[in-house]
Amino acid sequence: MFDNILFILSASLTVVGAFSVVLTKNLMHSCVYLLAALFGTAGLYATLGADFLAATQLVVYVGGVVILMLFAVMLTGGDQDKENKFGITKVPSMGNFKTFLAGGVSALVIALVVLRLIANVAKQNPQGELPEFTSSVVAIGTKLVTDHVLAFEISSVLLLGALVGAAVIARPAKRGE
Amino acid sequence: MITLSSYLMISLALFLSGLVVMISRKNIIAILLGIELILNAAALNFVAYTRFVNDNIEGHIMSLFIIVIAAAEAAVGLGIVIRFFQMRESIHIDDAAQLQS
Repeated sequence: MFDNILFILSASLTVVGAFSVVLTKNLMHSCVYLLAALFGTAGLYATLGADFLAATQLVVYVGGVVILMLFAVMLTGGDQDKENKFGITKVPSMGNFKTFLAGGVSALVIALVVLRLIANVAKQNPQGELPEFTSSVVAIGTKLVTDHVLAFEISSVLLLGALVGAAVIARPAKRGE
Repeated sequence: MITLSSYLMISLALFLSGLVVMISRKNIIAILLGIELILNAAALNFVAYTRFVNDNIEGHIMSLFIIVIAAAEAAVGLGIVIRFFQMRESIHIDDAAQLQS
């Protein structure tokens, strides 16, 4: 019962947030709706019994990535009423009818293909009863340093490289360049 | 009744939203938002399958790495966006055409 309520709330939050990201014309609102969608995804993780993953989703995405996006939006605000050299759209440039038509058609094609696949899954209908709630933190920690230790170490190197690279790329231009 | 298909439908909705955002927006930051949505859809699929098909936590590990890589990608992508804005005073994707002849 509680699981059903949590599932319905999280699912509607996710879907409404995701569709609002598509439909809004304001980049800042788009970021905030993305936050709603990610929050709903964390709730879905909670209904799936993935407590550690839900917490990580909240900390990394909602607390990190969306804030980073909002800072980037503010730093690159630009001039709201300056036409760019293509003359069609303003600087925020959230797409026009033609691009939405292209996106909608390709989304329709992919939706048909994926729905065909989901129909197969729904026919077999694998379902298990939700097991008793046990924390998955210990199991995940054990897996990370035994079976997946190589991927764990590589991801730490990747994070170091990505952060150093981001700092180097985003630094202000030297004079004379 | 919550089945695997309901999670897959939600994941499909997330993926399609991300796809439409990526194709139709002309703003680099908005395209990065679409990429985040698509990565979330993939991670949700991993967790749903690992819950309903084989009840181990391999999918959790996979989703954890997806989250790590998405964070790294967002940091580098936004660094590139800010640098691009310093050079061109624009974040329109069609302004990034220096390599086009």
